[in-house]
Amino acid sequence: MYQIISDGGCDFTKEEARKYNIEVVPFYITFEDDGHLKEGVDITKEDYFKRLLEEKGVFPKTAQPSPQDYIDVMKPHLESGKDLVVITISSKLSGSYNSATLAAGILSDDYPNSVIKVIDTLSASVGQGLILREILKMQKANFNLQKTVSYAEKILKTTRVYFTLDTVEYLKRGGRIGPTTAFVGGILGLRPILQLEDGQVSQLDSVRGKKNALKMIQEGIVAALQEEKKNVNLSIGHILSEDDAVNFKANTELSLGMEIDNPITEVGAAIGTHAGPGALAFAYCKKYEMIGDAA
Amino acid sequence: MINTWYIIAQILGLITIAFEFSSYQIKDKTKYFLVTGIGSLFWMAMFVAIGISTGMDTQMSLIIAAVYSTVRNLVFYVIFKKNTPQSKEIGLNFLLVMIVIAIVAGTVTVLNAPEQVRWLHILGLVVALGFVVGQYLPGVHYVRVAVVFYAVVVLLTQTPINILYGDFRWNIMGILIESAKIISVIVFYVRYSTQPKTPQLVFAKP
Repeated sequence: MYQIISDGGCDFTKEEARKYNIEVVPFYITFEDDGHLKEGVDITKEDYFKRLLEEKGVFPKTAQPSPQDYIDVMKPHLESGKDLVVITISSKLSGSYNSATLAAGILSDDYPNSVIKVIDTLSASVGQGLILREILKMQKANFNLQKTVSYAEKILKTTRVYFTLDTVEYLKRGGRIGPTTAFVGGILGLRPILQLEDGQVSQLDSVRGKKNALKMIQEGIVAALQEEKKNVNLSIGHILSEDDAVNFKANTELSLGMEIDNPITEVGAAIGTHAGPGALAFAYCKKYEMIGDAA
Repeated sequence: MINTWYIIAQILGLITIAFEFSSYQIKDKTKYFLVTGIGSLFWMAMFVAIGISTGMDTQMSLIIAAVYSTVRNLVFYVIFKKNTPQSKEIGLNFLLVMIVIAIVAGTVTVLNAPEQVRWLHILGLVVALGFVVGQYLPGVHYVRVAVVFYAVVVLLTQTPINILYGDFRWNIMGILIESAKIISVIVFYVRYSTQPKTPQLVFAKP
């Protein structure tokens, strides 16, 4: 019997976390004058992004959960005799994995009979969420902890995450692109398409105009997944752009000729602060059933 | 005046045509900039050779234009090849400075041109800037549409319209080079229309 814990990078809603009995350790958001706010606890994602949209020139900071935050969540489950599977956002994007590993190290001395496995997903947002969903399915299929972790580590290698942004403004605010690149991109109406590759964000391409971007992404998805669409799990996320996400999901389902089972999610602050309102995200990974022992 | 350098210039011009023609057959932006950048180098060398043959004073403005073009193409090549935020920022800053210098120089040329042909110079300036923007924009189409406009305007300067300016030169090689670009774009679209459509964005398989 193991308990699943994730940091806030998985973008699960409170309701989903409750439904699937997942503990979510939230990230911190810091606005200049409001101190540390826990995402999803002290401030909702929607409120956060609306504030980001309204307050020009503001660039809030996000911070990983502390080791103590993890300890506070882990301890009650260890006391009840459970093992733990902890999944975190990419260690190349945040210190959350370090915090979780530190917490696990501290607690493993006090609870030597419990197993704590911390998985660095090398992913984020919808990608991390997909890995979590596969872990949930494995838990439901009565996989033991070792087998779940072994499969999860293979699944994360098949996970691909892409984002298209409405504006380069937030990349500039966060210092991820320079002012000239932002200026030129803004004038020319370029929408960057970013990817999470080896746990890091990089630019795959850029496209002029939202319509073009979505059309090209759909063509790209169909080309990548057409042959093995039955073997993959897909997820779509957005930031204050639900209508676009719904249309995108419907069109992608139509193009692929399959249904996307997962609900559309709201992208959280860890990635969203740099992507900004209007961004769309999508991810896919192999289903755990397709991994097998030989994969 | 036909001498050794003049003949060398013609050979360099033919090599330029080969590179320019090839560059517009290439979909990949990085490779395009490399090939067109090498083409620009030969183009620049051609003007130098003509300058040695006929006198540098007549070729200096063309040599400067060719140096500008070569540097721009090679800077774009590095930007797209490295594809990092840092390289992009440095490259774009450099290019913006060059564009500002080109606009200033172009404006001075326009102001000094006789009134009858001023429109031709303004058009030249606009299409040259449009071409640079087209080169930077993503996808295969913008750069090809932009180069056709650019080539047409450059060809106009090789027509008797330019006699009014008193600077009409029947530059056969110049006409061939610009025509090669237009023909290359036409060939590209003929090929493009017959090929199976492939997605522009290539996502990794899971």
